[in-house]
This record gives sequence, structure tokens and C-alpha cells, in this order.
Amino acid sequence: MKKSLYETDVAIMEGIRNNDERALAYLYKLHYPMISHFILNNSGTDDEAKDIYQEGVIVFYEKIKDNTLELSCQIKTYLYSVCRRLWLKRLAEKGRYANKIDDSEPYLPLEDDVSRHEEQEKQFGVMASALEEIGEPCRTLLEDYYIRLQNMQDIVEKFGYTNTDTAKNQKYKCLQRLKKIFFATYKPEV
Amino acid sequence: MIDYRVYEQIERYLNGNMEAAEHAAFEALLHTDLRLAEKVREHKQMMQLMQKMGQREVLKQKLNVFHKDMEIEMAATETTPVWKVFWNRHVQTITVAASVSLLSVFGTLWSVQQLKAPVKQQAAHYVELRREVERLKKNQTAIINGINDASKPAPRPAAFSGTGFAISSEGYLVTSSHVVEGADSIMIENKAGLKFKVDEVYRDQIHDLSILKIIDTSFTGFDRLPFTFKTTESDLGESVFTLGYPREDIVFGEGSLSSSSGFEGDTTSYQISIPLNPGNSGGPLLDEKGNLIGVISGKQAGQEGAAFAVKSAYLLQMISELPSTATDGPIPLPKKNNLSGNTRPQQLKKLKDYVFVVKVYN
Repeated sequence: MKKSLYETDVAIMEGIRNNDERALAYLYKLHYPMISHFILNNSGTDDEAKDIYQEGVIVFYEKIKDNTLELSCQIKTYLYSVCRRLWLKRLAEKGRYANKIDDSEPYLPLEDDVSRHEEQEKQFGVMASALEEIGEPCRTLLEDYYIRLQNMQDIVEKFGYTNTDTAKNQKYKCLQRLKKIFFATYKPEV
Repeated sequence: MIDYRVYEQIERYLNGNMEAAEHAAFEALLHTDLRLAEKVREHKQMMQLMQKMGQREVLKQKLNVFHKDMEIEMAATETTPVWKVFWNRHVQTITVAASVSLLSVFGTLWSVQQLKAPVKQQAAHYVELRREVERLKKNQTAIINGINDASKPAPRPAAFSGTGFAISSEGYLVTSSHVVEGADSIMIENKAGLKFKVDEVYRDQIHDLSILKIIDTSFTGFDRLPFTFKTTESDLGESVFTLGYPREDIVFGEGSLSSSSGFEGDTTSYQISIPLNPGNSGGPLLDEKGNLIGVISGKQAGQEGAAFAVKSAYLLQMISELPSTATDGPIPLPKKNNLSGNTRPQQLKKLKDYVFVVKVYN
């Protein structure tokens, strides 16, 4: 892989839009040291740095995929700002208020992008616990069909249903329960 | 049974799998049936959410792969060896420990040296007792004389002086060889005012002894010498005395033989407890009976009463081994002792004519 291919931010973004995995890989490796340095300097660990950085990259990645990204700065600055924000929240959750943040880069507020990401994270959390609650085989059935997007025929074979109709019926019942649990717990904030 | 078919329909609608006619009919139904519309909305949300979860899962896996790759790359580029990690972690401790130990080692060495220093100083110095004649005084006299009589060349003062004594009536004398070292010409003079020019005829550097011979034509020979030489070693505590010229006049010094070895265990000399001064070098050391037992050679600096004299046995040895070229035949040594049994002042009276100040010019 020629690194120079992705040397500009525009090229990287273009690469991600075209589902070029190498672009994402390049981006990921390019900016990790900066975030790692930031987290470690502000009472974090290596694992936390990895977590936060991956969340930051996900925010960036999904914004590009949704075509909602209005980048008014370098990718570097964007990632730094997002990760900084996420880390401050994390510190607050841990009950440790960072009174003095050791910044190595300039940053932007980016309240919106981060809070939208957090809202989504919350939904994922609720969904995951709802899936946990409905139990087997419902959970695997739904996950296979909706999350892993498997073929109905494969699912019938895997679970040993007599025909697709039985499977579909089972799936409907499961979904019904999931829905009930999910909407009972989840109250949107936005 | 009907319910799940409805869901299937909803899913087909949401996924856009309906045919145009069916799609239109379903949309129309949505406008009228609000319950159905609500269901569709909910279903859509669920589906999207689960889809996103799936995508997120995939993305996270990808990122984890990148992360692992990156860690491997980083490890490959900067494999920090174990010792380096250890060093980085402990460098401060090590530095402090090292400086403390260095400090204590050198501190100890230094303080030990401090303790040893005065002892060492006491032990080290041997002073040869030849005397540097006060130039200034002589120069002054010379200048004054010069003013009085400008035609005369100013007499050159002697650079050094020591003591010497006669060993035979033919005009042979003994002194320390360091007294006459580097001499151009040597003059001797005694208390009676006799003044002769002498030459060094033999030198024994090892025992610091020199034989001088009077070369003045006016010299006719001494009277019989009053003392004899002692061939055996003298005993510890024997009372001894010397005559010498530490200044312009002859000076008597008395003490006892305090050790049968000299400076730093030198067995060729005695240690004697006579206060000596520069100028005493080369003087005779005699015991109570008037036997010559040694030749004054030096003292130890910083310690009073530690003076040294070369044993007479070595002087005799040197005289007996004198090469015939240096002298006109063997030197006849005095045989009869006139001092034994005399009081000290009588002894000195007899002796002092044979003790000379040796003046060295160079």
C-alpha cells in the first residue's frame, strides 16, 4: 500500500466513502498516537485510550457514511475534539473531575456530533439489554435475521424449524416481545 | 397467523420490495389506519437500530484489527529491550544510588587521607645539614669594602658551609659529601685561624662521605691527632658529643646514642639525640672516651632530637679501600687516644683545632 495515496484529508474521506478499508486503516493508525498521548497524560490507561479513540473514529466514520459531516477543520482536529469531549464525559462518570486538562492540540466544541453519538450509544445499550431479556432462542433468531442479516432459509435450518412459516411466526412473536421491552425502557431525549 | 403476515408486509414495504401497485395501496392504507402507521414507524425504528448495531459491530471488529496491526507494527519498529524498560523505570533510583555511593567512597578516601596526612609529613623528610651562608650580609660588607677601596675586587662569599675534621696529620680531612657537592673550590678554616685550600680526593656517595686533602703549599702538617677511630658498633644510650660550625663560631653539642639505625631503618648510621643545625654536617661524633664513632650527616624534619650520623665503621672501610691514585699512599690513621680520662672541656680544647669549617664556593 502506498501511503502517499491517503496523505490528504480529502483523499482519506474519499476513500472511506468508497468503502476503501485501507483508507480507514491508514487514518486509524495515523492519529492514534495523538489520542493515546492525550488520554495517558490525563490519567487514563492504554485500554481507555483505545476505547475512546475507537469511539471517536466511529463518530467520524458514521458521519461520513451518513453524508452529514461538515468538516471545518482538519480530520486530526476533529478526532481530537471528539475524543477530548468523550474522555471528559468518561472522567465525569468515573467521578473524577479533571480540573486541569493537559491539551496538546487545538479543539472545537462539536457538542452536537458527540451528543447524537451518545444518544445512539444509549439506544444500543437499551437494545442490547432488551435482547438479553427476551432470552434464547428469540435473541439469536433476531440477531441472525436483523443484525447479521442472514437468509431466512439458513435460519430455518439452523434452528430446525419445519418450514419458513414456523420460523417467521416465531420471529414475529420474538420481535413483538422485544419491541414491548424496548419501548418500555427507552425514552428518547432528543 | 395473520399478524406475522402483516409484519412481513410491513417489512416488504420498508425494504422497498413491494410492487408499485401494492406499494401505493399500502401507503393509502397507512394514511387511514393510524394504528398500522404507528406499527410501521416502530418497526422501522427497530429494524434500523438493529441494522446499525450490526454495522457497528462490523466496524468495531475492523478497528480492532487495525489496532492489533498497529501494535504489531509499533512493536516491530521500536522493540524496546527489557534492559531499556528497566533502565527507564529505575534510572532515577540508580542515579541517586550511584551518586551516594561515589560520594561515600570518595568521602571516606578523602577523610582517611586527611587523617594520614600529618603522620606522613612527619615521616618523610630528611634534611642534610649543610648551611647556606647568609649572602646578604656578606654582600653588604663587600659593597662597603668596595666603597672604601674600589681597586680591590669584591670577595666572593661562600655559597655553602659545613664541618670537617682531620683524620691524619698529613692533611687529610673527612666531611659529608653533600657539603662539598658541586664545589668549584673548597676552603677550610679552624678556630685557631688556620686557613687552607683543599681538594676533594675521594667521594663515597652511598655513605655520604668525602675525603679532602689540603693542597696549600704553606701547610706543613698537623700535630698528632688526639682521637682514635672506633671499629666496633657503639651501644645504645652511650653519651656522645660533636663539634661543628652551624654558625661562624664552633659549637659544642651533646646527647646520647638513641638508636643503632638511622633514617627509615638505615643500618649504616646511628640516630643521636643532639640538637643539630645546618652547618653541622660533616662534624665528628665522639663518645666519652674520645673515640670517633661517626660523622654527622642530617636530621629528620619536624622531629626534634632525631639526628643521624654515619657509623665510623663505614668511614674506616672507605679509607681502607681508597684507590692509590687518589692519595699518596695509605693514610696513616691516629693510633693513640689522648682524650680518654680527660674532662669534657679539656677534651674539647684538644679537639677543636682539628675541627674545621668547610667553605664551599661555586
